Amino acid sequence: MPLRRLSSLSFAAAFAALTWAAILVPAAFGIGFQPVSPDELKMNAEQQAPGAPAIILYRQVDRDDNGRTSHQDDYVRIKILTEEGRKYADVEIEYRKDVENIVGIKARTIRPDGTIANFEGKAFDKTIAKAKGLRYLAKTFTLPDVQVGSIIEYYYTHDLEEGQLFDSHWILSEDLFTKSAKFSLKPYSGYYQSFSVRWTWQRLPPGTNPPKEASDHVVRLETQNIPAFQTEDFMPPENEMKSRVDFIYSEDQYEPDVDKFWRKTGKKLNDQMEGFVGKRKAMEQAVSQIVSPSDSPEQKARKIYARVQQIRNTSFEVRKTEQETKRNKEKEVANVEEIWKRGYGDGFHLTWLYLALARAAGLEAYGVWVSDRSNYFFDPRTMERRKLDANIVLVKISGKDVFCDPGAAFAPYALLPWNETYVDGLRLDKDGGTWIHVPPPASADARVERTAKLKLDETTGGLEGTLTIAFTGLEAWRRRLEERNEDEGERKKFLEDQVREFIPAAIEVDLSNKPDWSNSDPPLVAEFSLRVPGWASSAGRRALMPVGLFSAPEKHLFDHGNRVHPIYFDYTFQKVDDVTVALPLGWQVSSAPPAINQDGHVVTYTLKVDHDAGTLHWARKLNVDIILLDPKYYQALRNFYEGVRTGDDAQVILQPATATTSN
Amino acid sequence: MMRKLSCNPQPQPPVTKCLVARAVLRLVLVTLACLPSAFAGSDAPAWMHALVNVPLPAYDDKTDAVKLYSETTVSVQSAEKVKRTVRVAYKILRPGGRRYGEVVVPFSSRSEKISNLRGWCIPAQGKDYEVKEKDGLEVAVPKIEGSELVSDLKAKIINIPAPDPGNIVGYEYQVDEQPFVLEDTWYAQSRVPVRESHYSLQLPPGWGHKTTWLNHPEVKPTESGSQLEWVVNDLKGIRIEEDMPPEEGVAGLMIVSYFPQGGAGTKGFTNWQQMGLWYLDLASGRSDASSEIKAKVAALTASVSAPIDKMRAIAKFVQHDIRYVAIELGIGGWQPHPASDIFSHRYGDCKDKATLTRAMLHEIGVDAYLVPINTERGSVSPEMPAYMGFNHVITAIKLPDGLKDPSLVATLQHPKLGTLLYFDPTDEITPFGQISGTLQENYGLLVTPDGGELLELPRQPATMNGIRRKAKLTLDATGTLKGDVTEVRVGDRASSQRWALRNVTKDVDRIKPIENLLAGSLSSYRITGASLVNLNQTDEPFGYNYTFESEGYARNAGNLILMRPRVFGSKARSILETKEPRQFPIEFEGPVRDTDTFEITLPPGYAVDDLPPPVDADFGFASYHSKTEVNGGVIAYTRTFEVKELSVPVSKADELKKFYRIIASDERNTAVLKTVGK
Repeated sequence: MPLRRLSSLSFAAAFAALTWAAILVPAAFGIGFQPVSPDELKMNAEQQAPGAPAIILYRQVDRDDNGRTSHQDDYVRIKILTEEGRKYADVEIEYRKDVENIVGIKARTIRPDGTIANFEGKAFDKTIAKAKGLRYLAKTFTLPDVQVGSIIEYYYTHDLEEGQLFDSHWILSEDLFTKSAKFSLKPYSGYYQSFSVRWTWQRLPPGTNPPKEASDHVVRLETQNIPAFQTEDFMPPENEMKSRVDFIYSEDQYEPDVDKFWRKTGKKLNDQMEGFVGKRKAMEQAVSQIVSPSDSPEQKARKIYARVQQIRNTSFEVRKTEQETKRNKEKEVANVEEIWKRGYGDGFHLTWLYLALARAAGLEAYGVWVSDRSNYFFDPRTMERRKLDANIVLVKISGKDVFCDPGAAFAPYALLPWNETYVDGLRLDKDGGTWIHVPPPASADARVERTAKLKLDETTGGLEGTLTIAFTGLEAWRRRLEERNEDEGERKKFLEDQVREFIPAAIEVDLSNKPDWSNSDPPLVAEFSLRVPGWASSAGRRALMPVGLFSAPEKHLFDHGNRVHPIYFDYTFQKVDDVTVALPLGWQVSSAPPAINQDGHVVTYTLKVDHDAGTLHWARKLNVDIILLDPKYYQALRNFYEGVRTGDDAQVILQPATATTSN
Repeated sequence: MMRKLSCNPQPQPPVTKCLVARAVLRLVLVTLACLPSAFAGSDAPAWMHALVNVPLPAYDDKTDAVKLYSETTVSVQSAEKVKRTVRVAYKILRPGGRRYGEVVVPFSSRSEKISNLRGWCIPAQGKDYEVKEKDGLEVAVPKIEGSELVSDLKAKIINIPAPDPGNIVGYEYQVDEQPFVLEDTWYAQSRVPVRESHYSLQLPPGWGHKTTWLNHPEVKPTESGSQLEWVVNDLKGIRIEEDMPPEEGVAGLMIVSYFPQGGAGTKGFTNWQQMGLWYLDLASGRSDASSEIKAKVAALTASVSAPIDKMRAIAKFVQHDIRYVAIELGIGGWQPHPASDIFSHRYGDCKDKATLTRAMLHEIGVDAYLVPINTERGSVSPEMPAYMGFNHVITAIKLPDGLKDPSLVATLQHPKLGTLLYFDPTDEITPFGQISGTLQENYGLLVTPDGGELLELPRQPATMNGIRRKAKLTLDATGTLKGDVTEVRVGDRASSQRWALRNVTKDVDRIKPIENLLAGSLSSYRITGASLVNLNQTDEPFGYNYTFESEGYARNAGNLILMRPRVFGSKARSILETKEPRQFPIEFEGPVRDTDTFEITLPPGYAVDDLPPPVDADFGFASYHSKTEVNGGVIAYTRTFEVKELSVPVSKADELKKFYRIIASDERNTAVLKTVGK
């Protein structure tokens, strides 16, 4: 019986959960319940996890990938420190029934006085999801008599199906602080056929030695004091922040040298790509319909880009059922010529079509594989081919590198979706390729410009007039993408809701134009009629008007004093506001806030208020040139945003002509 | 699908339900992606094709779909066996209507069997699609905090191809049911307009039935042999609004009970009294105290002699030492576990905790009764017939004669039983003697040996739920405001904070609620000291004491200084700032009374030039009063916000909108200062 390797993305994701909690005690090899020390019994807090509802005292994961009776033993011992911590006594162990089973569950509660309440109930088999060919189940049970001060522990075994081999992931970071943990993996060693295994690790707790294979060929890791994992706003992808070890099986021979690995991989990728795009004659014929010989290289690049984006892109359509796909006879394509002929393709193939057409037009163009930054931060040293999961095209125009991804719907020419930027990519060639860096777009490439022309109502203090918002670059791209399958009514609501999110007051807003949702390059321009009731407030004889009309998004940024993770923005951006308010007849500006120019190097904020006869005007600009910021700069960033809010809270003092503004 | 009594009414993040739905949905999407191909290809049935050309009225651009047709046929074979056939078809009008292509059929795997689930799409152009049950998915709700740990609730899901605008999607299925109770609810109205909807009931010879219509004029059935059929046409869709009553309270629906000759026996009830007896029977014997329970009661009450103290000791034990865990299979959704099991396991769900409370109180000579209730006020009301509309169980404790204690607020004077105190042992945070806002003025079924009585629970005074915030602050010449704040919270206002802090996993994060509060109003702030008061002493008011400073709070404006007297905290809401007129009443969680006092000492040489006007707004259902005064270099801002009624009718929605606008305006108002001599 041949051994099957199950390590595709979906399987890996499904089985990441398997490594949770515990010890795997195969009936024959399990370590059984370990003795409890008096210190564990009497502890009521953990100095390194102050305030924790519970902590993991000990965790052990032992995997044996022998291919016949492969199994993983999980063991976990938890100390309950607060009432809230008792919830960890409810246990749910998810698994896929078709490829494994959960056996040998043993569990108990050790009361604070040391007496034991064994779990003698039944672990319920809950069907999480069942469909043709697959069954996700969960063994579910709860422990008895769990009080603050109790210790709960349980162990069980994942009995893995014979003849299957799974990638393994030790996720060290858990919701709870872990005092001590041991992991081991006995790799598959060729009972059926040869597989190589390698492993990578990241963010191991201080003082932890990296996992190492011992003379018995078992890879082991011992560690202590793993902080509880927590999430924060504006943090990098969670997996990047977790302490973890990943094992990867490969049917290929193990290649320890990173450069050689990628050279070999790059050659394969290049062969695949060239095999797909290598239809020179057909492409030359196609490109002759798109460009003229007199076009400059840039004109050619742009025209081809625009033409490819006109082709139906199936990646961005409403997801179809397989039945619909079959009926539409949407078959896999073998090369760019087929795409061109049939007139549609997915985003991946359209990007390669662009490459083929660009080359046919005489442009110097390369295929590049990059990794999607929204999921993880790619590091070539981990030698994970699967993480190179997005393709783009590099075109050399007048010696400059221009990156394009026409397969990404609504991405303007020469502007990649943010998740394909600020990453390393493998530029393919026959020799295996070259690593290049794909730079992030400038903040001006993601811009929101809000222009308001309003009148102040002297009786209500309300503002009324028009508002025009231009979303440019990535700001337009992401909105067009989000609303691509919606109708006019939903898009109208979407844009009006955007305005509500910008203005920190109740408003009445109505979209008055028909924005261009179809094209990639032009800004997405939306025009509104706008009413902001009671925006100006009264102060006895005077009226006061705040200038932070579009300040709501900055109101609650970085409220908290503490920060654990780096600060991470998807992309850099600009917000530019221009507001003009016509004052009621006879009203005067008594005082306007002074100009602000707050320069934090990577973040800047300016505000300038001026006025002339009967008109008040202010201009505000916020520029954020940050993608990833070390947490040590958090306070500086927080201070900056406090400065932004202070500027936005500034008020203009108005002197009404006769009556005061009422509320 | 039967409703269950499993609610854990502790304040939960408002997204809990969404989380459940999202978790299931995510799972579904992930799993469907792995599903093998669906090869079915038969035409849609004739009942769907008959709908292709039906004329429809014009719908507004917010109507995602219209329910063209639905048909529910309930065929009662016996008291133990009911067959149900369901057919539904929608026309998709907008992209948002694509969700109607995902068919989710919930069922209880112990008492209901789904079969012949099939779905179809009739595209505007092209051949029909068909999808069958085998191409779908069966899911259970994964463990979500606060939900059942183990339950027999499942759902079958199929995804109908091409649910695009202009297309018609439909499905049908059969259910074999073993009913616990001979009763059914037909939800005639839905979230999209209904063109035509049928409900048929086939009863064995000699059986009777009784129907009650809610939120819809009564419809008379047509009779054909043993079959009764009700039909409704052209119903408006229910558009969900923030803080609206529960859908059961506003949707047009019919409750039907049916019974064999001689009555439904233990499987039905025609009034609340009978329903009480039914539940009494279900809970019979479950409150018997084991020797371990008796010993525990003795231990808990050994050191106290007053009955109230004994009750408190027992209440505290059940609230805190019995962990909320819901394991509900079959009738276990309604029937409590035996008290002895609950006690020995030290866990149980709401009805279990209520049952153990009864058992333990009985040991000190105090009677207590189970009270099924729905945690959403308005889900059950006296206008409704007796039906399974509950999702939670609390207790009513018969107070010993002569026992009076000011802390016992949630009381009701019962003509036969005397003073009853409502107590929710599942709510670990609300002190004994009080109930949370959602239970107040809500209807619960008092279950006594005489049967059931649907009684309105008392409303507690607004003063028992609120925040009393006092700040003594100093403004310096640079515009920095600093000082001390004392915040005392009672009632649900205390519970919400205690609940939020329970979920904090690090000591350093305990300050976050204060940070959130200040960040809502101050552009910059530093908390220089903070402490919690009575975090775990739930029978005492909860409090925060903290010290903060805010740079640049007062701003120079020419030769003047601007400063907002209302320093922080917001009462204004924008729920009524919508384009569409309000359709449903606005529900408050409970009565509330909050007061703020900010005393700001001005720096020497500063004087007040202008002050905001006082505000006095009283709309009956709620009031708001604020004033700003100067006294010897101190600006004192005081305000009181009070919710007096728990529901504001649609006719007063504009008043409520105005009320909130007045508050918003007051909260923005600014005092103008000047330096003396200028």
